[in-house]
Amino acid sequence: MSETEASPTVLQFAPLYSSVDEGFWHSFSSLKLDKLGIDDSPIPITGFYGPCSHPQVSNHLTLLSESLPLDEQSLIASTSHGNRNKCPVPGIMYNTNTLESFNKLDKQSLLKAEANKIWDDIQSGKALEDPAVLSRFLVISFADLKKWSFRYWFAFPALVLDPPASLIELKPASEYFSSEEAESVSAACNEWRNSDLTTDVPFFLVSVSSDSKASIRHLKDWKACQGDHHKLFFGFYDPCHLPNNPGWPLRNYLALIRARWNLETVWFFCYRESRGFADLNLSLVGQASVTLASGESAETVPNSVGWELNNKGKRVPRSISLANSMDPTRLAVSAVDLNLKLMRWRALPSLDLNLLSSVKCLLLGAGTLGCQVARTLMGWGIRNITFVDYGKVAMSNPVRQSLYTFEDCGEFKAVAAVKSLKQIFPAMESSGVVVAIPMPGHPISSQEEDSVLADCKRLSELIESHDVVFLLTDTRESRWLPSLLCANANKMAINAALGFDSYMVMRHGAGPTSLSDDMQNLDMDKTNKQRLGCYFCNDVVAPQDSMTDRTLDQQCTVTRPGLAPIAGALAVELLVGVLQHPLGINAKGDNSSLSNGGNNDDLPLGILPHQIRGSVSQFSQITLLGQASNSCTACSETVISEYRERGNSFILEAINHPTYLEDLTGLTELKKAANSFNLDWEDDDTDDEDVAVDM
Amino acid sequence: MNSGREVSDGRLTVEGFSVAARAFADKWKIHNQSFPPWSWVPLINRTLHLSNQQEEGYLSLEEILILSSLEESPEDESLNVATDCLEKEESVDHTILVQNQENEAHYYDFHIVYSSSYKVPVLYFRGYCSGGQPLSLDVIKKDLPSCSVSLLHESKWTFITQEHPYLNRPWFKLHPCGTEDWIKLLSQSSISTGCQMPVDLYLVSWFSVVGQVVGLRIPLEMLN
Repeated sequence: MSETEASPTVLQFAPLYSSVDEGFWHSFSSLKLDKLGIDDSPIPITGFYGPCSHPQVSNHLTLLSESLPLDEQSLIASTSHGNRNKCPVPGIMYNTNTLESFNKLDKQSLLKAEANKIWDDIQSGKALEDPAVLSRFLVISFADLKKWSFRYWFAFPALVLDPPASLIELKPASEYFSSEEAESVSAACNEWRNSDLTTDVPFFLVSVSSDSKASIRHLKDWKACQGDHHKLFFGFYDPCHLPNNPGWPLRNYLALIRARWNLETVWFFCYRESRGFADLNLSLVGQASVTLASGESAETVPNSVGWELNNKGKRVPRSISLANSMDPTRLAVSAVDLNLKLMRWRALPSLDLNLLSSVKCLLLGAGTLGCQVARTLMGWGIRNITFVDYGKVAMSNPVRQSLYTFEDCGEFKAVAAVKSLKQIFPAMESSGVVVAIPMPGHPISSQEEDSVLADCKRLSELIESHDVVFLLTDTRESRWLPSLLCANANKMAINAALGFDSYMVMRHGAGPTSLSDDMQNLDMDKTNKQRLGCYFCNDVVAPQDSMTDRTLDQQCTVTRPGLAPIAGALAVELLVGVLQHPLGINAKGDNSSLSNGGNNDDLPLGILPHQIRGSVSQFSQITLLGQASNSCTACSETVISEYRERGNSFILEAINHPTYLEDLTGLTELKKAANSFNLDWEDDDTDDEDVAVDM
Repeated sequence: MNSGREVSDGRLTVEGFSVAARAFADKWKIHNQSFPPWSWVPLINRTLHLSNQQEEGYLSLEEILILSSLEESPEDESLNVATDCLEKEESVDHTILVQNQENEAHYYDFHIVYSSSYKVPVLYFRGYCSGGQPLSLDVIKKDLPSCSVSLLHESKWTFITQEHPYLNRPWFKLHPCGTEDWIKLLSQSSISTGCQMPVDLYLVSWFSVVGQVVGLRIPLEMLN
């Protein structure tokens, strides 16, 4: 124990650092939003710290959600008192309402005010009753509750000793004490730590008797301890782990000791633990020399320091962004993504979710089909949806068109639909376009020509700028121009149409020019037959089935309500199948009879039909396959090249002259010829059709 | 439902969970002293109609420290501009030790929470650094032992961010589906008399599998 004394050096203290639990910011945000509002008066808070528990890492002063005045909403009881690792320490928080006022706070005077409180507690004796006040602290902050970011700065006021204390010696406690003393000191400390009454008292006296028995006493018992000890140490919970420096709490402790008891040499004990027990290798015993400067009375308030350094060692505020865990929109996004990821890793490992979230969908029509398609697209994580609709929400609409409510009546559908999507899921990227789709067979006057051509151009641009087009309008004619434009641009088109009690959902084949350009490297026969048909091809290559009597293609605004959800949902499922298929728009059409009913590895989502037709009157559904027709008025090579060559004049002619398209494609001739035969199609290479499957 | 003393279908009742939790915490304290003990956090039951005598709660193991090498984090540029220089105002105090940052300390909290919809325990966890900033999943995966990461890839588990049921903040969790199946498997293989697993061994068995995913191993003695 008696070592050669080293020459005294200035005693250097390891700074204390803060740690703010995420829960504190959550609770503080609720407090600010619910109770405080713009009130920026200082808030009394409680910080927590405990002795160092790890040889390589110091402990911090921590703020938790229970640091704030009582949270009634919490499901978990506050456990701050009697907790061995959370000694409560009083603090104060100044939160400003703007960043400017945060920067303008008079930091020096705030620090001084808190230091004065410590000094007062020392002078009045309160520090002896409740020594935790020696570690009183201050926080200034600015909480940006729109961006969920928090700027804050801690100060741990320390009274500056003038002249500074010097260190006479410092060594691990295990080297200082004899083994008998060490054992007794450990035992006494563990007892102190295990009792709820004393475990959160961070400053205490360690008294070692001449027969190596140690006992721990409260500071206020100092007088009573005099005389009956061999050694007396001023012990404290030291958050610091360093072997050559005591922690920050010692600063105000020395100020207390000097002021109350006028001691010039102070033996101190830095108490540190590991694994929940006293660790006398880690703990330090030291001797400091504290002198009163001559001429200075003990009542003069010392200067104070203590603003915390950030984790780069600079004396600036810290900042934390909690948008990911607090911003409701981000939380919604991650919840929705989670759902899709669950689907992927539980059932569809090959699902490409990134593709889905980036695909841009254009919905032509925001009625019963448009609303259903939009909702199902959202379910698949598709975020980018544009509505095109010329109409307004009518009083009869909200019950059947799932994006509208009573309040929307009278609003443009395209606009109301966008608003609705955002209300359902804030991260949707959606826009609405109010424009009418030009239709063949509906002649226009010459004054209207310019605006109609402008509409065509608009439509063409919309189709170009999206990846997928849904044809969901309520007439056959309004689907013609979009079908042509999609075939021209080789864009994926999904068509859904409703009859009174039947529906049809199909995907258009690739455009005619795609055959020569894109498909050179694809493993397919290079014949026209491989191109799947569009909505208008069916006019010629009509599959044989019992539903031909009920023409879907007539203008039909009266349908059984169950149809739109079914058809809309099928349209989206079909789309997802195409998107996930390696060949995309060029995927060949399957029929349900071909597959074995189960999914195979190539097609994890199942078969990819060309057309689906169903009936509610039969509760039946079949898949069909139709090839592209050379005489199609919308997607045949004839029509497309004519459009490419003549552009607007072609369109105007198609709109104004009812027979123009049929003449152009030779349909007129074909129909004449057909009428002279029985309908008995021989199409050698056509795949199986007409397989009715009860679904 | 069974009497509560044994588990035969891989699932737990809420009372069974409380029993199993305490048994687990006790065994852990005895056999696994290299770690701090689990503590039971009771929940304040605010719904009046529930008349459980057994209190509900969850197991908590917090502030598990993992040291990792210091990584360069982008400095917040705005901080340098906006703040006035306190260096001038605060007198240079030579009694403050100037420290070098060595290692970055990562802290982990683990909660074992009962899921009443799946009727199995679920592991929730989160990571944060010493200042309190939450750690992202990428950073957490770097802290995990490599065998855990490969276990994740092979199995059907994944870490999911989800609302902690009581703290109302996003935590990571290991998805519980499938738990009852492999618990049944465990009970079949380990216990010779039928497929019963005593309730107090439930969490120990469960954790022997789940813990590995987050790098927490339990000693074999706990399984006796």
